Amino acid sequence: MVRSLRWRLQTWHALVLLAVLAIFGVFVYELQWQARLQQSDAELDRTAEVIVSRLQRLFPAATPWPWPFRRNRNTPRSPDNRNATTDGIAEASRQSTKPESATGPVGPHDSSSQPAPRDIASRSNPPAPGLGLPDEFLQLFEGDDESRLYFVVWSRTGETLAQSRYAPEIPFPSLQAAKDGLPQRVARVRDSQREVIHVTSFGNHVLVGRSIRFDIVAQQRAAAWLVLTGLGVLAVGLIGGGWLTGRAIRPISEMSAAAQSISAKTLSSRINVQETDNELGQLAAVLNRTFDRLQAAFEQQSRFTTDASHELRTPLAVILSHTELALSRQRSGEDYREALEACRRASQRMTSLIDSLLLLARFDSHESELQLQPLDLEHVTLDTVDLIRPLAEQRGISIGTSTSPTGVFGDRDRLSQVLTNLLSNAIRYNHEGGSVDVSVGEQNGHGVIRVKDTGIGIAADELPHIFERFYRVDKARSRVDGGCGLGLAICQSIVEAHDGTITATSQPEEGTTIEVHLPRGV
Amino acid sequence: MRVLVIEDEPDLQRVVWAALQEEGYAVDAAEDGEAGLYKATAWDYDAIVLDMMLPKLDGFQVLHRLRQSKSTPVLVLTARDAVVDRVRGLDAGADDYLVKPFELSELLARLRALIRRAAGQPRPVIEIGNVRIDTVSRSVTRSGEAVSLTATEYSLVELLILNRGKLVTRAMIYDHLFNEDDDSLSNLVDVHVSRVRKKLGHDFVTTRRGQGYIIHG
Repeated sequence: MVRSLRWRLQTWHALVLLAVLAIFGVFVYELQWQARLQQSDAELDRTAEVIVSRLQRLFPAATPWPWPFRRNRNTPRSPDNRNATTDGIAEASRQSTKPESATGPVGPHDSSSQPAPRDIASRSNPPAPGLGLPDEFLQLFEGDDESRLYFVVWSRTGETLAQSRYAPEIPFPSLQAAKDGLPQRVARVRDSQREVIHVTSFGNHVLVGRSIRFDIVAQQRAAAWLVLTGLGVLAVGLIGGGWLTGRAIRPISEMSAAAQSISAKTLSSRINVQETDNELGQLAAVLNRTFDRLQAAFEQQSRFTTDASHELRTPLAVILSHTELALSRQRSGEDYREALEACRRASQRMTSLIDSLLLLARFDSHESELQLQPLDLEHVTLDTVDLIRPLAEQRGISIGTSTSPTGVFGDRDRLSQVLTNLLSNAIRYNHEGGSVDVSVGEQNGHGVIRVKDTGIGIAADELPHIFERFYRVDKARSRVDGGCGLGLAICQSIVEAHDGTITATSQPEEGTTIEVHLPRGV
Repeated sequence: MRVLVIEDEPDLQRVVWAALQEEGYAVDAAEDGEAGLYKATAWDYDAIVLDMMLPKLDGFQVLHRLRQSKSTPVLVLTARDAVVDRVRGLDAGADDYLVKPFELSELLARLRALIRRAAGQPRPVIEIGNVRIDTVSRSVTRSGEAVSLTATEYSLVELLILNRGKLVTRAMIYDHLFNEDDDSLSNLVDVHVSRVRKKLGHDFVTTRRGQGYIIHG
């Protein structure tokens, strides 16, 4: 059962379906995740770009690092700058942002930014970082929303130049080394936070990030949905597949059941062919044809056995009843002689019948060995005609011959037997005073014997059967004449063992012609 | 009793014919279906022995046509012993079946049974007054003493007894006691009847003048 076609089909179907669903699910999951990240990234990138452009405006490209303080002192108002360090950026940013917007503290890493805590303390409002970014922009980084943005700006050396209030502690992502002097962008996920890092041509690192916890949760939910939907599709697919497989397999099961039920006793039943145009219908038709041949062979075999036993039973009945009658009381010598003669005739008939049956059986099993030799068909024919001529004369039938020397490779005794059978049939089924013409010659590289009689002929519907065993056109004549219906069958077996052919043509009341074609051989 | 044997094998036909003859039957023979059917319809046989494999008309055809006009008991002889063949033969109207090769004694017993059944006398021993007839041993006793009858005399007694209470015409006696080759001189019947009367008592057979004979059971 486990190895049955149905189970294998279903298992394969399930595996393929599972693989397709898994690949598809992973693909959809990944696509969705990427879409989410891209959506998020777009915002992060826009924000980062604002900061980058701000940075570039503060420190034009031409300005080499470190940035000149002078340039930024254009807007000098730095009361907090009592602790001026060499960190120009921190200074510059503070200075540059302050006039434009509400200034906030610089990053906590900046040891020089003392005012920051104070600013925070002094204003309950979350302070915007430096860089002079507009307020509405800075609003992006405020609020209790967990998914709010945060940013950090580092110098190329890793000093924090500015950062938003809620920015978490982020180690400096040293990226400038890779492609110094060219802007770079890197996106990453760190601790369920999505961050994009823009590196300006100077090596300033602008990181903008946000928590993507909600996205992750949403994605997990989507994944759960995908898995559930996938399982549903799998279930539907398996049920549908099972149904389809069952439908496809059912005719096979029916055929095998039908074929199994056909035994020797029920050979006449057939597989029900409903659809003849598909492969299964063709298979069923092929099987049915095989059964036809099998049945024909069986019936022929059974008929042959019945006929053979029938032919043996009649002489047996003669022997049995004659002896019984003779022994039932004292008889005269004449009576005994008659009874014994009847028994002898019956025994002779049985002997001849058994000989014929054995001969046929040997030809059937290809056991019969022909004594093949080069011989002249003309000689064999004329010899046989001489042997049978007395029988013909007895019936007033003349035998005419027209022969020419024809060499074939054959078994003299067997071919002589063929001729004897054909000639005795031609005489037996002839009219009184009729004639038999025997000709031997060559035709298309074959040796041909033709026996033509002027006898009673054979009806067209009987003609195809005359080479069948025990087939009698007229049962009476052959019985009276001692034939048993095997003569032509034996002729056919012998001729076919020579790789030859035997054919009959006939006109009722005009006569029958039998032609034997034998290959010339070597 | 008159029996027709339709059999194409000459040796078999002759031995059956001889055996029936010895049993006191009047026997006709035919060697093909056509001749057999002709004889079977032309005469009132007490039974027919019919071979199935026959030239011209086979046994089934003979049976089929015979049954359109006659109900003569038919015992079929055949070499085909398959159940289908037997069923087919019986369904075609055969009364009994015998497969070749057969024992003559069985053939004779079956024929006797067929004839008795057809006459409505299933018992093999029939008693009328002090006369007792055993159809199996073909013997007659009168008051317990064996009576010696010739084959023809016995056949006459058997015919009259199987038809007891019914008028048996002279034509019937000719039909049933003599085969087609016997000379049927009309006074021969009277000769046989008078001999039977002599042996079994005058009252055993009643004469209906101008009609025939009758045994009152």
